[in-house]
Amino acid sequence: MVKKKFAETPNFTIRKDFRPLDVKEKGLVFVGYEISDDKKTMNQFLHYDQLYTIRHGWNSPFFIGLLEGKIMGTRCPKCGDTWVPPRTHCWNLDCNLQRTEWIEMPKKAKVHTWTVAGWSGRSSLKRLPIILVYGVIEGSKTAIANELHGVNPWDVEFNMPLKVVFKPKEQRIGAITDWHFEPADEWEPSPMNKEKERIKKLVEPVYEWVKTLK
Amino acid sequence: MSRKVCIIGGATTPFDYGPTGFESIEGGAAECVREVMRDIPDFNLRDIDMMIYSHFSVHFGHQLSAEWIIHDHLGLVGVPHYRVENGGNTGGSALYAAALAVKSGQHDVVGVIGWETMDSVSQSQGSEFIALASDIRYELMVGGIYPIYYAAMANKWMRENKVTEEDVALIAVKNRNNAMDNPKAQWYRNEHRYITVDDVLNSRLISYPIKKYDCCLMTRGVAFLLVTTEEYAKKVNPDHYVTIDGMGLSSCTIRAGDRLNFPGWIERYGPGYPEMTEFAACRQSAEVAYKQAGIDNPLKQIDFGEIHDAFSTSEAQIYKALGLADSENIAQFIRDKETYLEGSIPMNPGGGLMGYGHPVGATGLMSAIEAYYQLAGLIPKKHLSSKTQVPDPHTGIVNSHAGTGTSISNFILRRV
Repeated sequence: MVKKKFAETPNFTIRKDFRPLDVKEKGLVFVGYEISDDKKTMNQFLHYDQLYTIRHGWNSPFFIGLLEGKIMGTRCPKCGDTWVPPRTHCWNLDCNLQRTEWIEMPKKAKVHTWTVAGWSGRSSLKRLPIILVYGVIEGSKTAIANELHGVNPWDVEFNMPLKVVFKPKEQRIGAITDWHFEPADEWEPSPMNKEKERIKKLVEPVYEWVKTLK
Repeated sequence: MSRKVCIIGGATTPFDYGPTGFESIEGGAAECVREVMRDIPDFNLRDIDMMIYSHFSVHFGHQLSAEWIIHDHLGLVGVPHYRVENGGNTGGSALYAAALAVKSGQHDVVGVIGWETMDSVSQSQGSEFIALASDIRYELMVGGIYPIYYAAMANKWMRENKVTEEDVALIAVKNRNNAMDNPKAQWYRNEHRYITVDDVLNSRLISYPIKKYDCCLMTRGVAFLLVTTEEYAKKVNPDHYVTIDGMGLSSCTIRAGDRLNFPGWIERYGPGYPEMTEFAACRQSAEVAYKQAGIDNPLKQIDFGEIHDAFSTSEAQIYKALGLADSENIAQFIRDKETYLEGSIPMNPGGGLMGYGHPVGATGLMSAIEAYYQLAGLIPKKHLSSKTQVPDPHTGIVNSHAGTGTSISNFILRRV
């Protein structure tokens, strides 16, 4: 009997594996324990490592776009609203979940809001301090979060013009970290002021602390 | 006319990071129920006709359906149960579910148990687990943790509302110092000291303008809350029950950057709101709760609150979303210490997330329990002294909050 297929199986012909050598899948492993000296309390150590497949499906054009150095957004053919990050169906209730169309977005943006991080998740600690901005890419109705490079943490400004800068093609992995924001070419930082001095004072120990990380 | 819903009792384990004395979740849950049994001698486990479990992340416990362990440990086989998960608003959402169950007439005595064991991984790994509730495809790798998203929202909000780092530090100081009167509070049990605005300003940078002491704590803890009909309340605990006179639950975008021009908000509140700065889901759920409870001037008609101070900045943003102040007077409202114990509307007299702790699934329940204690006059019994008892309160607000303001609930509790 021929098994009935309900969806086309994509034929995956391009596959890249850039898993670091020290990342290994072991599944669930009990790897140790500790017991208090009064023998009343025990802690056990469980290690869990698992490879996940994130199926991007209909959102794939955005991530394939990243590999090609493009910011892909979507637009509703009915109301014209445009988004990055993309939405595959319109958010406007009057459009009745209209399917959207893909468009390439300009690599120009503006800072909507920003922060300077001196602490982060385990995998980002060594990159601190990080300037995170929510930038509105020209034409988009939404802001997208990404890092701002090429500027001192204390020099970021609201509404400053930005450009989207991609990593060299060979370094891209199809993730949001394939690009970052940089100040637009015409932008110049404003002179130091009280707030900038305050941020500088808060950030300086972070540079020192990061040097101590292994 | 639907039935009145009451809170008649509740208790938490001590909140802590590391050993609490109640390491197993089922042991902790049992001890919370035992405390409620001591408070209400006529309450019997056989009276419970439904259990709702409140737990955020399987990543911390590494146990799927952990509520099943707790449930049969309590001896409750046969009693219906399910788990509610709604990010940081898990506790509030579980309370909402329990109240709906009683209101509907389907159930009379509903137990709610919440927990989180955030110390099972390192702090930075824990932060990253929580950040899995951001949209991991677009945001996880470029912010990494929630404080960064909150800092970006707060930075703009503070500028637009002329609120300074010193102003929000007053909130961080208030909640931690309130916790010094609460023996179950993590701040009391760990750092155990009174702090000043300078301590907050000099603490390490997390993400500008948020420093370490502007942030809540990561916590291991369990909470139990008993939600019942008024008939049952009058039968077993006639002198110490409160009614839920209003409740609202609302939602906003997962990614904060998506709410700038969202049609659903423009329809309700006009263009330019909530921007990336205001908590629209807090405003809307409060409006619903206020209407049900007949509140048109919250500052005058509410005596105190237990609210979701994940960050000192977000507590300030919540004041505004609850309608206690507006852009013109929010900074002065904070500077006048209106939310201190001696102010017009004390907020987080129990210590809040910054003082008591934030074991996500238990947090909203902890807030409801503290509000219940205040209204039932139980603070002198449950805290170390009467100094954190709000004088003669009639009406309190409980607020629970998730994501970047993605799900928010508000409850109006009243003394009978």
